[in-house]
Amino acid sequence: MSNVIKIAAFLAFSYIAVPLAVGSNAYVIGLIVAALTIGGIAVAWALLGNLGGMVSFGHAAFFGVGAYVSALLTLRGGWPVFPAMLVAGLGAAVASVATMPALRLRGPYFALAILAYAEIFRILATEMKPVTGGAAGLLSIPRLPTVLGLDFGSKLGGYFVILTIVVAAMAVYHLIRRSAYGLALKAMHDSEDATRVVGVNSTVLKAWMLVVSAFITGMVGAFNAHYINFLEPDYAFAGQWTTLAIVSAIFGGYRTVTGPLVGAVVVYLVDQLAFKPILPQGHQIVLGVLLGAMILFSPGGLMPLLMAKLSRKEGPAHAA
Amino acid sequence: MLELTLQSLFSGVLSGAYYALIALGLALVFGTMRVINLAHGELVLLGAYISYTAEEKLGLDPLASLPLALAVVVATAMVVYYLVSMIKKDRELNSLILTFGIGVILTNAVLMIWSADIHSATTPWYHDATILFDTLFAMQAELVFAALGIILVGAVWWWLEKSWYGRALRAVASNRDAAKLMGVNPQLTEVLSFAVSGLLATVAGVAIYTAKVIQPAMGHHLTVKAFIITVLAGMGSVPGVLLGAVLLGIVESLTVTMASSALQELAGMVLFLVVLLLMPSGLFGRAKRRG
Repeated sequence: MSNVIKIAAFLAFSYIAVPLAVGSNAYVIGLIVAALTIGGIAVAWALLGNLGGMVSFGHAAFFGVGAYVSALLTLRGGWPVFPAMLVAGLGAAVASVATMPALRLRGPYFALAILAYAEIFRILATEMKPVTGGAAGLLSIPRLPTVLGLDFGSKLGGYFVILTIVVAAMAVYHLIRRSAYGLALKAMHDSEDATRVVGVNSTVLKAWMLVVSAFITGMVGAFNAHYINFLEPDYAFAGQWTTLAIVSAIFGGYRTVTGPLVGAVVVYLVDQLAFKPILPQGHQIVLGVLLGAMILFSPGGLMPLLMAKLSRKEGPAHAA
Repeated sequence: MLELTLQSLFSGVLSGAYYALIALGLALVFGTMRVINLAHGELVLLGAYISYTAEEKLGLDPLASLPLALAVVVATAMVVYYLVSMIKKDRELNSLILTFGIGVILTNAVLMIWSADIHSATTPWYHDATILFDTLFAMQAELVFAALGIILVGAVWWWLEKSWYGRALRAVASNRDAAKLMGVNPQLTEVLSFAVSGLLATVAGVAIYTAKVIQPAMGHHLTVKAFIITVLAGMGSVPGVLLGAVLLGIVESLTVTMASSALQELAGMVLFLVVLLLMPSGLFGRAKRRG
């Protein structure tokens, strides 16, 4: 199958088949929207992790900033929702600029510095009561609007919006990876020093990946705010946004473009449908087990593992 | 005002003592294995909850529950070591994600076994107040565990500096291959570092249970605090860890006294970022590039 056919099949499946099959079931659509929300963060996380070579434990920071920017613009500034969501992405990108000094740190130091930023943003959102409403949160955030007769405020409408954000994020990820920048980033991952020697400014490249990743995460956060119409600091900056995204991306294989999305859908649905009913308290333990098991037994993720199995049957193995 | 400030400095020092225990464990493991154990705070958490169960079900004094808590926590630390040692490729980042996952497992296991309720020690003696020099107030538990903490940190320092195993551990930390050539078994020192880190975590856990309140979500925060301290200290200096821990304790308690308790965590985070970005080798560490 050529790539064009694969992509067309994926789009037809997600834009036509899924809504036709389960569009009338509000519960199922609600679950899928939540899974796609995680998927969006996971794609953004993987973009930074794979192309930028940096693990982040603080993507909740960008998610929360995006959510608050969009909610405040629409609530206090009277902005229409969709432009506000775009600006929310920009807001998260600006917030990521504030985290850039951390870029000169490598590995674990960067991962934990980002975590510190997430904590700082959460506390600021709690303390800046006049602007953010403090711990009480923001109520009745405007829902997604009706455009050209399409009601995006409904569950199904929300599905199309978040799906489009995630698909756009994957397209951006794919295009960057294929571009000259992608090549430079890949080289950087192999040997940063050698890449510097041939004239690639690796810090600038990393910085751009951080900005793009933050922008996507901010958009997803903004979507979520308008979808659930409510926001409070402990929710918007909750560690679960980072944890779920990391588990999804690792599970699906964060070196592939589609892996994080597939990971998010599988992980979230299995968690909600199979484990939450059995273990109402502490069902996240499953996520921890999954994360540990993947790192130990298949660091490349489940998707590449399956692909390798399949392509071994078909012919010579190729990189996913 | 002066009295308040002095009291706040004193409380900061007392918290610093058990922060030092946690941070030292994290730094030891990082030294030998180049692994930041993100499940370290959860080991402390586990120690605290074992102590709670021992007091609740067996009527044991928190100090008397130490051996039991030690057995469980050190055994858990050994499991963490075994899992981390299974990672062969890209260990620095993969172990970060692995131990993050173990942390999630431990936190949720505690949540499932003990529920989300908060607990604290019920033996009244520990909560009685002592007044030092007519002005400084402390709970007896805080004094006992601060003393124990400082003694333990001192003991670990002595052990690292003077004993054969301690030297072996430092040798592996500074140059693994050379240490191996000199007849040091790196695996053994790694196991040792994990065991000692578990021991320190246990004492810290019992200290927190006795002097403060415990709840399942605290493990993660403790890991972050310990990491902040090691950044302040610049990995690999025991007195540095103690000073960094006391510094964090003081900054936190001053923030609570001068501003608000809501800003306590913020103060630590800001301190962390400032030091990380302006003084990459920490306040007391040797100049060395991170990563």
